[in-house]
Amino acid sequence: MKKILMILLPLLICGFTFMKGEKIFPYKIHQQKLQNGLNIVTVPFDSPGIAALYIVVRVGSRNEIEEGVTGFAHFFEHMMFRGTDKYPKERYDEVLKSIGASANAYTSIDQTVYHMVGNSAKLELMFEVEGDRFQNLHYSEHDFKTEAGAVKGEYTKNISNPSSQLYEDIRNTAYDKHTYKHTTMGFLKDIVDMPNQYAYSMKFFERFYRPEYCTILVTGDVTPEQVMKLSEKYFGNWKKGSYTVDIPVEPQQNGTRVTHIKNGETPPVLSLNFKGPGYSDTDIDSPALDLISSIYFSNVSEIYNKLVVTERKVRNVRLGTPFSRDPNLITISATLKNKDDMQYVKDEIMKTLEKIKTTKADGKKFADAISETKYSFAMGNDTPGGIAGMLAYYIALSGDPESVNNYYSLYEKITPDDLMNIAKKYFIESALTIGTISADDTCPVK
Amino acid sequence: MKNIFIIILMVLFFSNAFSQEVVELKMPKSDKVVVKLMFRNGSICDPAGKEGLTRLTVSTITSGGTKDLTYSQVQEKTYPMAARYGSNVDKEVSIFTFEVHKDFLNSFYEIIKGLMLTPSFSQQDFDRVKSNQQNYVDQVIRSSSDEEYSKMALEDFLFRGTRYQHMVMGKTEGVKSITLDDVKEHYKTYFTKNNLTIGLAGNYTDEFKQTLINDMKTLPDGNPVIASNIVPEKIDGINVEIITKDAFGSAIFMGFPIDITRSNDEFAALMVANSYLGEHRKSYGLLYDKIRTTRSMNYGDYSYIEWYDNGGGNMLPPPGVPRSSNYFSIWIRPVQIAKQLKQQYQELSDVKIGHAHFAIRLALREVDKLVKQGMTEKDFSATREFLRSYIKLYVQSPSSRLGYLMDSRFYGRKDFVNEVDDLLAKLTLDDVNKAIKKYWQIDNMKITIVTDNSEAEELAKSLKENTVSPMSYSNFVKSGLPKSVLEEDEEAANFKLNIKNVAVIKTEATFK
Repeated sequence: MKKILMILLPLLICGFTFMKGEKIFPYKIHQQKLQNGLNIVTVPFDSPGIAALYIVVRVGSRNEIEEGVTGFAHFFEHMMFRGTDKYPKERYDEVLKSIGASANAYTSIDQTVYHMVGNSAKLELMFEVEGDRFQNLHYSEHDFKTEAGAVKGEYTKNISNPSSQLYEDIRNTAYDKHTYKHTTMGFLKDIVDMPNQYAYSMKFFERFYRPEYCTILVTGDVTPEQVMKLSEKYFGNWKKGSYTVDIPVEPQQNGTRVTHIKNGETPPVLSLNFKGPGYSDTDIDSPALDLISSIYFSNVSEIYNKLVVTERKVRNVRLGTPFSRDPNLITISATLKNKDDMQYVKDEIMKTLEKIKTTKADGKKFADAISETKYSFAMGNDTPGGIAGMLAYYIALSGDPESVNNYYSLYEKITPDDLMNIAKKYFIESALTIGTISADDTCPVK
Repeated sequence: MKNIFIIILMVLFFSNAFSQEVVELKMPKSDKVVVKLMFRNGSICDPAGKEGLTRLTVSTITSGGTKDLTYSQVQEKTYPMAARYGSNVDKEVSIFTFEVHKDFLNSFYEIIKGLMLTPSFSQQDFDRVKSNQQNYVDQVIRSSSDEEYSKMALEDFLFRGTRYQHMVMGKTEGVKSITLDDVKEHYKTYFTKNNLTIGLAGNYTDEFKQTLINDMKTLPDGNPVIASNIVPEKIDGINVEIITKDAFGSAIFMGFPIDITRSNDEFAALMVANSYLGEHRKSYGLLYDKIRTTRSMNYGDYSYIEWYDNGGGNMLPPPGVPRSSNYFSIWIRPVQIAKQLKQQYQELSDVKIGHAHFAIRLALREVDKLVKQGMTEKDFSATREFLRSYIKLYVQSPSSRLGYLMDSRFYGRKDFVNEVDDLLAKLTLDDVNKAIKKYWQIDNMKITIVTDNSEAEELAKSLKENTVSPMSYSNFVKSGLPKSVLEEDEEAANFKLNIKNVAVIKTEATFK
């Protein structure tokens, strides 16, 4: 009965229009596999003349299991723009230019995504150049070594931000075995050594740039028939691979860990990182953590009102939930006005976490958080690129774009009691890694 | 492509009463409603000694409450709607953007009305917002991204002594001196019904539109005097400011004012030239090809003929930053400094400076070649074809489409994206090459470089003395380079620049 009330509550409070059992994603997802295992996804969408072609490779820095080659998934993304025999770099650029597309790629811990948004009348040309480079990439050792400089350049631009430095240090401190220990950019020592890894790059391509690791996703002014025909024509002969990756399992953490950056030129930062769950569209853990984040750490939370609005000791505070294939960090971060308040702010956050474990969430706040989650989703999908980018994430996490509907349906199952249990499960001091930036010589909090 | 947006029923409606202009983009199938309120004011309206006041006024409104609701109550009411609202302040406009699902339009509108017409301007909200803005100008801009830092420093350098000089966020002393009374007064003077353009997009009724128009007529009734015709000082030679701090690389921005905006038909010709030289975040540009692809000196290199907001975060140019005073600029993303090169490559253990001097020369040499030789027919055709498709991507979402339409009004146009397509269609190679010659040169400009303390003095000396600056490659890259690249390197390393002044300044001396 309580559960029914919780589901009805949002309807009563804010005119909630999402019905139970209804899929959150409002467009039909057409999905079919080619014989070689390549998954083809089409989402027709009202965007006259514009189409987005995304190729999702379910490979990121998570797959970098060997010593000395961290950052390689990202480096390889760079190499994919170095051309083939049929379309050398200059010719490839000419074609991209003629398509008038916004084209680029990105790599994260779990995925590498190549994306083009452009004139839907030129979809076949997009397929042709993408099909060619995914099967016939060919670069010289010189090109490989030269491109390594651009990766160093990317690291150079990123690292000027102390938050990037802290992020790097926190991962390295929190993890022992799992590949989430390093960032997508990789360890600096490995970036510096990249020019010497030409042979490994060939191996990397052989292993992962295979149909079983990839999904072709097309959204916008297209039809599923058209997309299937083009996929068959340009990717149908792609040979399946055989490599499977064995990602090391992270052992249980048995005590609080600490990392600190001394820097008095930038605002003080406190970051509390607990080991959290990996992605699942059947377990409630991740969506429950999302609700905890909304209720207890958003702009309407008690802690925000106390630390940011009333006391004004903190510029912002937030809780970020993990959204990754394997168990990842739940991060609570705060930017402070004065470094001397660091211990106080940490204590306030820890008090909030204790409260979540022991006190049931207020019914209205719970309902508001559900409403916010679902309306945020509805508000966010109004361009072909936006829709493709969102679905690419779910494909990377689960292999199936329908997972987005499964994931959001979990919110209907969660109760305020669940939030208490999830908090008890994850907010454990022995699984905590503290990261700080301040003018102090050592970490100023206990 | 012309038919791309035919499905969007676009009604352009002008209302002369109270000088309010209304721009509409009706989308009956949409679930969303977007309201944009654009005021002609911006940071050029900041009084001397109170730089940052327009930004702080806007932030106090969007991060504050109404006469009936506190900031926290506003947050609580809007949270379950997932309604989004925020603002953008630039040099000459301030824009409030409100987006909400149609289910909540009426209840959210009460918040819009409250914030815009009866903002609470509480001391508590003001203190919170001011402290964050102070922190941005004191610390954040100097410590979070060297690229953004060098970009802001270039603007400060180019427009020194004008109302365009200071950052929209203000200056350290300027923000410090702003009081809540200043904010209240600034709102009354500059956020009036007489300098407002209303934008509406999505699924709304005529009744809603009329209510919005009528309500906005109750904004303060002032006649703000907005400075216009910003004239930057004439630049004599190449003037460089090197900003020193603890840095991992050298972040470079360089440029000079140009007397052209989207209002001019010639802008289309310069768009083609600029796209060919350095289209933002594209690998097809000349600069990208020479500096990144061939020599792998950094992450990317681009050029601009107008302000591009948050270039590090945006792939496509966002609307909402129209300006009447533009400048041409080149963005060279951080290149390696000597300290890093020495650590990484044994063969470079004796280099005195990193890649900054060579990169500047290489980039300016390409601009110079373009000025002297012009584009070829082939490059012109390919670039024009690209742009005619690409500009359609600027306006994919209702919010960006509406934003571009509103910016069009600023420039005296109805629909820039469609009009520029017509202009591009009519262009000839001769038009483009004439525009290049008319607007671009390399002898008089300003350059800002944010770099490491260890690099600054040697780099300054090298620039000042026009010292030959050979590219310092690692052995394994150098050995594979074709002769043509090495020859080009030789020419670039010896390329004389019209350097007049080079100053090395500490980070704390910037934005004074």
